[in-house]
Parts: sequence; structure tokens; C-alpha cells
Amino acid sequence: MPPRPYLQVDVFSKRPGCGNPLAVVLDAEGLTDEQMQTIAGWTNLVETTFVLPPTQAQADYRVRIFTPQREIPFAGHPSLGTAHALLASKKINKQNGEIVQECGAGLIPIRIETSKKYRRRLFFRAPAVKNIQPFNNENSEAKAVFSTLELGTLSPSLVEGGRKWWIAEMRDENALRNLVPDYATISAMSKASDSMGLCVFSRCKDQDYQLAVRAFAPAFGIKEDPASGAANATIAAYLLDSGALKDIGHNYRVSQGREIGHDATIDLRAEKQDDIWVGGECQTVISGNINWIDIK
Amino acid sequence: MSQNRSFMQCDVFADYAGAGNGLAVVLDGENLSSEQMQAFAKFTNMSETTFVLPTTKANASYRVRIFTPASELPFAGHPSVGTAHAVLEAGLVKVTDGKLVQECAAGLLPITVEGSGKDRCISVRAPRGKIVPHDANIQTLLDAAIKNMALGGLTPTLMNNGPLWWCIELENESAVRDLKPLLADIATLTLASKAVGLSVFARSNSTDYQLVVRAFCPADSIPEDPVTGSANAAIAALMHELKTIEKVGRTYTASQGREVNRDGFVQVRVDDEGEVWIGGKTRTVIEGSLSWD
Repeated sequence: MPPRPYLQVDVFSKRPGCGNPLAVVLDAEGLTDEQMQTIAGWTNLVETTFVLPPTQAQADYRVRIFTPQREIPFAGHPSLGTAHALLASKKINKQNGEIVQECGAGLIPIRIETSKKYRRRLFFRAPAVKNIQPFNNENSEAKAVFSTLELGTLSPSLVEGGRKWWIAEMRDENALRNLVPDYATISAMSKASDSMGLCVFSRCKDQDYQLAVRAFAPAFGIKEDPASGAANATIAAYLLDSGALKDIGHNYRVSQGREIGHDATIDLRAEKQDDIWVGGECQTVISGNINWIDIK
Repeated sequence: MSQNRSFMQCDVFADYAGAGNGLAVVLDGENLSSEQMQAFAKFTNMSETTFVLPTTKANASYRVRIFTPASELPFAGHPSVGTAHAVLEAGLVKVTDGKLVQECAAGLLPITVEGSGKDRCISVRAPRGKIVPHDANIQTLLDAAIKNMALGGLTPTLMNNGPLWWCIELENESAVRDLKPLLADIATLTLASKAVGLSVFARSNSTDYQLVVRAFCPADSIPEDPVTGSANAAIAALMHELKTIEKVGRTYTASQGREVNRDGFVQVRVDDEGEVWIGGKTRTVIEGSLSWD
């Protein structure tokens, strides 16, 4: 088996180490499902992707996405990191416009924005939000969580996009950053409502970001996520629905991950429902080859 | 000023890619700050990431700093074996009389290199292991952690060879392979006794290996470690101390990792002075450049 081009990329990141890491194996043709899963277990990153030739005419590439445990049809951060790896290694040459990713969830458009100020940013269109269900004090597991939080003005809600998340506004940035989450109650709420967990956010003043976000999914083994793609899209849909984006702006920037030693920057484009884009910069950290010889 | 550094990710104690324990190696770690090294070790999310630096001692072959995602370590077995492999592959050092000298925070450590090519086996001398006595409270926690285990002949013992390891001999190979560890009880025991983890082992009738080993570190969020240098060294030191090593042999192969979809082999040797050496084969998996600072 020949060496294949391999990149390790930092997604939602202005500098290496700020964002969410991703391993990308380019030219993955010929690897079996089992080999892909084993490689994803060995890299030990949250996700490892494998780039394949597209099978549909409109697609620029096909990708398969694996966590160390299993294959998943789609996730935001691996999609952006994979598109970045293809652009950085000049397998795809495009400065601006859209490319189309074929994956387990179908065809996903990825928007490329290159400017002097931001170098290259990539955006994916998030799954449409189907349902926003406000917290009504009856759900005892949710009550146990929300009764302890310094909440902001908007009412907490259970929002269903690609996945379900509880979303709650915190009073201010300090309350958000100093929050010590109670994983046990969040986990119980998540299990009782069949949701991923809890996203909290606060509006921010005098910063180069308009929102600060933290995301907790302890029921899925993720105490706190350093940079959330799709979860930020559900927050954007919720803010759009509530009218809050009139003040915040429909194009806004999120800071996430500082509480766990990261410093991710995530950009949102939320002009209208069903057309919410999530993006940011990616950094190439490791560039080389993977030589996966798995026979003695 | 941004700089491209030479990078390698290899698989240690492995006959083939994916069989062993991964290690990230930055081959020219000069001018990276300790903070940058720690941040990169967190980014790779390998159990260890090492940084090769110019030596400061005349007789050292190379210098290395070893980081987990959380902290710097003075010494560890698998990163030493893998780093020696990486510097040899990169042509940074030459073997003299089958030996290298690694400079690390724990001092100057001898490394032996035997064979060549795919069969090259690199071994490092482990810090000397000592039995640590434990009190009745710990015994109660120990009893809870091992209550589902079919014990072998040796008394369950806490060993100190840098890290502290519980070493539990089981009746036979299937008792090790089929064990469903009581992770919550093991976490409680290891926290209370300041141990990094609990290892189980048994002699094997296989022709490929003489000992089978598993190692659990649930208190460190690692339910089961794929292939563990220090635990294997602790087990060998215990068998040597209790004079049962001859039943396995002073040079033996341990199999570890099959229960977590790996298939690692650790070569263990107890020399005439009673020092334990651990080693194995290493496979280069990823080679490239790093852009970090």
C-alpha cells in the first residue's frame, strides 16, 4: 500500500492550537472500512476523514468521517477541515465561491471566502432547524439545570437541528466564562430529552466577537467541546427566531473554548432560517504522508 | 517567525501499523517554549509527544523532552523507544556498539539497538522497581477492585518504578483476556494509592509470547492503555523480586492490546544486575513537517 498524503488541521482557528483538530487522509481509495476505523482509532483525534473520488456529478469530492469509535454521516468541523486540506494541498483550486462535498448526509455546499483581512475562510450550510421548544418549567431534569444558572433575557429552549441541543442565554460574558458546569444534571437532562446536551451563550460587549459560547455533552463523553459547528448553527437559528439578531447582527462572530485551553473563532451567517452558514479559518499544522502498512 | 519542523508519528511496540501505542515526535524541537510544547502535545492527543533537542551532555546521543496532553514527564518507556526509532530513521544519530544514550529529565539513560530493518528492536532500561507496602484501608479498596478476578499465585502488589502500578497476577491467559474490569473500583483504588493504574498479567502457552498483560488507568480517563512500557517493567520487577521470573524466562515477550483492537508486543529482559529492560519494534506511520510557532 503506497504512502498517502496526510494533513492534520486545526479548524475554527486563527493560530495553530486554538481550534478543533482533524486528521485528513487524502487519496484514501483502496482503504477498507475496517482500516479507516482503525486509523481513526489510532490518530486518537475527535474525527479523522478520508477523501475519495466523488460518485455524483455535482460533487467536487467525497468524504467519509470517522470518530475513534464509529463512522458518522456528517459533522461541521470535519467538513471544513477536509475542504481546507484539499485547497491547501491544491487538489482543488478555488479562491472564492462554492464547492460541493459528498458525504453520508448527501451533498453539502462549502463556501470559500478569501479576503485580505481573513485569508481564507470556509463555511458550511448547517442542517435546517426543525423545531424550537421553549422550556416550560415542567421538565424536572431541565429545571434542575436552569434553576442554578445566571440566565439572560431569552428563555431556554430545546432546539432540534441536525441534533437536539438545549440552548440557554447567560446574563453576561463573566457569568458564562465562570460557569462551573454540573455534568451530572446536564447529563440527566440530555438523556431525558434525547438531546446532545447544553449550549450556553452570552452577548459580548467591546470584543472582536459578539457572542461567547460553551457546549457541554457529558452524556456523550464530551464534557466540553472546544469548537462546535452545528451547535452554533442551532444557536443562530434560535437567535434568529427570537429576533435577537437585529441587535447582534446577522453576521456575527463567536468565541468558544477558552475555558478548556482552546480559543476558537467561529463565524456565523444567519440571514434567514434554513440558510445558516457556519465557518472560520483553518490552519495546516502537520503536512506529510501516512504509510499504513498493517500486515506483519 | 514561523518555521517548518520535521515531524514523525510512529507506532511503538508494534509489528505493523495500528498494532501498538502511537507516539508523536518533533525531530527539531529547538526554540519551542515549554508552553508551545505542552500545547502541541495537547493538539496531537497522543498518549505522549516528544521533542528532540541538541544534547547538553558530552556522551548523550540526543536529548528529548516528553509530554502527555496534560504535563511533562521525566521519563517514560514507550516515548523513549519511539524517539530512539525516530532519530535513527531521520539519520540524526548513529548507533555505537549497539548502544545509544538518551538525555532526558530523568538523566542519561542507556538504550540498546538490536537487529535491523523491520526487525530492529530498541530497548530502554527502566527505573528500578520496588514493592510498596499498603495498609488495611487500601487492602479493602484493592479487594473491591479485584473481586471479579481469578487470581494467580502471586499476591497482588503495588510497585513503584517511577509511576506506581498495581500488578495482579491472574490464573491463566483467558482470565486476563476475558476480564471485564471494574473500572469504577479500580479508579477509586488507584486514586487512593496514588497509582497510575492497575495491570493484570498471566503466563501464556502461546509460542509467540510468554506473558499476556492488560493495563487499566480509569482515573486518568484511559479505561485501558493499549501497550504500556512501565507496567510491563513493573511486572517484570515484581516477578524478579519474588523469584518467579525463571518460570517465564529472564527474556520474554509480552502480548498486550488485543482487547482494545491493538496487538502490541513488548520485549522484556531482566539482566544480571536485576535491571529491567523493555523494548520492541516500531513502525513509522506518518512523516512530514510541522507548522506550530
